[in-house]
Amino acid sequence: MSSPLRFKIQPSSLHADSAARTGELLVLNTEINQGDVIGGQESSKRTIQTPGCFMFSTKGSVPHLTPDMMRQQRYGGINVFLEQLLQPDQPASFSKWPSKEYTLANYLYLQDLILLCDSRDPSYTYPSLSPTTSTNDASTKRIGSNTDRHVFLSTPKGVRPLTLEDYLRVVRQYRPDIVVAMADNFQANNKTDIKGSKSSNEEPDQKKKRVQKSINRTLKWLDQILLERQGKDGMIEDRKIEEEKRRKREKREKRRTLAKEEQEQGQGQEQRQEPMQGKQCQDSGTNSPIEVSEIQTEPWMDVSVFAHVQGGQFEDERIRSAKETSERIEVDGFIMDVGSMSNAGSEKEKEDMFKFIQISLKYLPKEKPKMAYGIHAPEDILKAVALGVDLFDTSYPYQLTEDGKASLYFFGPNGSLSSSKMMRGAVGSNNRWLNLWDEGHSDKFIPILEGCGCYACKDNRHTRAYINHLLKAHEMLATVLLMSHNLYQYSIFFDAIREAIASGTLNQYTKEFELHFGVEPVRTNEKHQTQILVEAALMKRNQRLETAEAGVVDVIGSGVSLEDESVSQNFVNKRPISQSEGSEDSDRKKPKKSEDHDNAAS
Amino acid sequence: MKSALKWEVLAKCSTTKARAAVLTLPHGPVNAPVFMPVGTQGTLKGLTPDQIKDLGCQIMLNNTYHLGLRPGQELLDKCGGAHLFQGWNRNLLTDSGGFQMVSLLKLAEITEDGVQFESPHDGSLMLLTPEHSMSLQNSIGADIMMQLDDVVSSLTTGPRVEEAMWRSIRWLDRCIKAHKKPETQNLFAIIQGGLDPELRKKCIEEMLKRDTPGYAIGGLSGGEEKDKFWRVVTLCTDLMPREKPIYCMGVGYAEDLVVCVALGVDMFDCVFPTRTARFGNALTATGTLSLRQAKFRDDFRPIEEDCDCVTCKSYTRAYLYTLVTKETVGCHLVSIHNTAYQLRLMRQVRQSVIEDRFPQFIHKFFKDLFKEKDAYPKWAVNALKSVNVDLLAGEES
Repeated sequence: MSSPLRFKIQPSSLHADSAARTGELLVLNTEINQGDVIGGQESSKRTIQTPGCFMFSTKGSVPHLTPDMMRQQRYGGINVFLEQLLQPDQPASFSKWPSKEYTLANYLYLQDLILLCDSRDPSYTYPSLSPTTSTNDASTKRIGSNTDRHVFLSTPKGVRPLTLEDYLRVVRQYRPDIVVAMADNFQANNKTDIKGSKSSNEEPDQKKKRVQKSINRTLKWLDQILLERQGKDGMIEDRKIEEEKRRKREKREKRRTLAKEEQEQGQGQEQRQEPMQGKQCQDSGTNSPIEVSEIQTEPWMDVSVFAHVQGGQFEDERIRSAKETSERIEVDGFIMDVGSMSNAGSEKEKEDMFKFIQISLKYLPKEKPKMAYGIHAPEDILKAVALGVDLFDTSYPYQLTEDGKASLYFFGPNGSLSSSKMMRGAVGSNNRWLNLWDEGHSDKFIPILEGCGCYACKDNRHTRAYINHLLKAHEMLATVLLMSHNLYQYSIFFDAIREAIASGTLNQYTKEFELHFGVEPVRTNEKHQTQILVEAALMKRNQRLETAEAGVVDVIGSGVSLEDESVSQNFVNKRPISQSEGSEDSDRKKPKKSEDHDNAAS
Repeated sequence: MKSALKWEVLAKCSTTKARAAVLTLPHGPVNAPVFMPVGTQGTLKGLTPDQIKDLGCQIMLNNTYHLGLRPGQELLDKCGGAHLFQGWNRNLLTDSGGFQMVSLLKLAEITEDGVQFESPHDGSLMLLTPEHSMSLQNSIGADIMMQLDDVVSSLTTGPRVEEAMWRSIRWLDRCIKAHKKPETQNLFAIIQGGLDPELRKKCIEEMLKRDTPGYAIGGLSGGEEKDKFWRVVTLCTDLMPREKPIYCMGVGYAEDLVVCVALGVDMFDCVFPTRTARFGNALTATGTLSLRQAKFRDDFRPIEEDCDCVTCKSYTRAYLYTLVTKETVGCHLVSIHNTAYQLRLMRQVRQSVIEDRFPQFIHKFFKDLFKEKDAYPKWAVNALKSVNVDLLAGEES
């Protein structure tokens, strides 16, 4: 039985001057899945055209989009993260799931998409994963260091370790189409991650040691995972070591009790050496070779395995990781996490990043799919595609949405760089997106992008003015519309990339793209001035409401997170007292004697 | 006065005062009795217009006060009204803006001229007059607009209540005079008079002379005793002409809706379903589920088994437990369900009236929601008894 994943490269897409290629990532539906196809579609496969994307998700949902809205998008796959989904008592509490056959796809209602599951959200910056981080750095919240036995996950309920055994149990229940093998990843851009010692001379050396260690761990886990997938016992070596440890512990215990007894018996006498001799006598009986019986498990060949390719900023280590990972021929695809290479802040670092990707790619089998984490901006995608990367995620449209931006960029001949189209976008210094927070849009009763087929723009139904209003009113429909548009445009961008590869015009259009759109401005944490004002007003209002309603605050409205049950129970027992004639304000209690009325309207 | 609506009663309950009707407005028909979701700022809490439409919603509310501040009258005029502004081509109803003045009373001083308040944006003094309210509502272009009334809290007693009642009548006259589009927008009068039956009677008598296309019962749902609330409602429906729609403002709890329909009310609105959704509370026929509670973590049922909303078709309570109050999607999903629940409830009520089995429906509804007769709210029992439905007696067949 082989995995139902296929990757077909379009031979005609291969050109001498570029490593870019088009293809199709395809998962054949198993019979179980077929009975469960959403929307009554009878297709027996699910596909992603490559170069293409998995949708980026938070807690198993595409941010802001309900399942019906998400399915208006044109993506064939979604990437979900274990650390955002796993409950503290899982995998133990999987026994409470409806059945052994109830998969993650059932749970998340994603049966019609290719479901990729990784352990960690690569966009999340881990405060510290390094074993060498100085402990007295109070400003960094530590989540702890990975060990040979586990990685740390940052779950909604706090940091937890995930052992390989737990990981395997989770995979057995979740059965995603593709699981990413547990890996000891850490981020290069996290200074505290690497810089354990203050002596800068030691730094590169230490870094390298850490990188080597992480490659070794990751490969070891990969081997174990691949064995387990076939129903073999991948954990047997670990159990042997455990057994050995257990025996040693036992011996120590025995020795200690013995010593104690002898001491009690022979009080006052000089018998310091005797316990040791006694111990040796006892030992002979338990010195038999350690034997651990093999445990047969059910194979899970229906799950494909992608592996992280590592090596940080070290060329030789990148080559080693790529080569050794490739040797595991059962691996179905590869992932390169840019976050582990550089923080890509400067031009030089970005250059390095592509160099590292290229090194890894050189040693990976051509015929298998490669995915990159952390390459988001359109011009970076173009570069990575040219190097032969097949798969990405939709972090870029998500980031734009969070910033109140709406995509205007385009690629290839479709967008023939007509001046009219360009001009309309030309608010501010760049024309790759609009920032709908800008007051200039408040009276623009035109869609974000004329002719765009996304939900927001279609039939000119939702205008820039309306989205500007929604942002200022702190209404959640703003991000729904922006996400719909930005995701849609990203998929159009990838369509154009595939067309350009097929027609051998990728390089030409890439140059044109760079000429017209430049590079993505560095994304800062700085918020738009209007956003700051709106959020400050909201904060004030919520503070007032908090006093009035004893801790019940509109969580989503304020962006402040609350902890679970205590609050909700409060709320349910206490329905709002007054109902209103349709005012959002009025089912809250009237503001108490607060002097602060200036935000009452929002 | 002129009217831009058609009111056709299809069926009357042979036991209670309930009726099933079609209210035809400029943006299409509305099946009454109807619950109208509230899209305060020109949007219903993260739901797209298509999603709202797909839930079967035929009429939605906007708030004049909020739209008047943002985007403002000038922009509303420029884009051609609130329907176009929010991409909603079904019916809209707007309040007068006066209620917000009262709910934020510290800001407002009420004079014969209108309601004076400080702009929440720049602190400048602004005056909302009946004329200004009409002008704003004309710019919004709602299919039903409400007169500016002098709202007093339903807990207020004494001469202030009577003053407000008479002033509301005078303001109605000014509204009628200022209303520029009576052929495309319907102006509803709002009956005031607090909890005093005599004042209510007087108010209705006067307002009926103005012959507005519809009437609303105002000044309730402000924290008054429920037993007083329903008596005012039933008094008003008794005195009002049966050939016009009657709207009870700010009512939205399921049991209130069912009782008020029995008392003869046709239209309702409330922010409750969408607001409570944002706290992770899902409405069901058997009560509210607080999805944030840990007990739902391993509950793999949908919110409601027989609900056909996107949320119930897609997700389990277990998954929603992880989303609500954390992700915007969680809000949207529960808002969708709660709106679907309210609209479905009203459809069921209406169907039972058409089939003349509304009393049986009421019995079942209360049994499902409260389980034990001891738990039935006393006011509801009294109210329904007044329209010949005895909840505590055996079920009708």
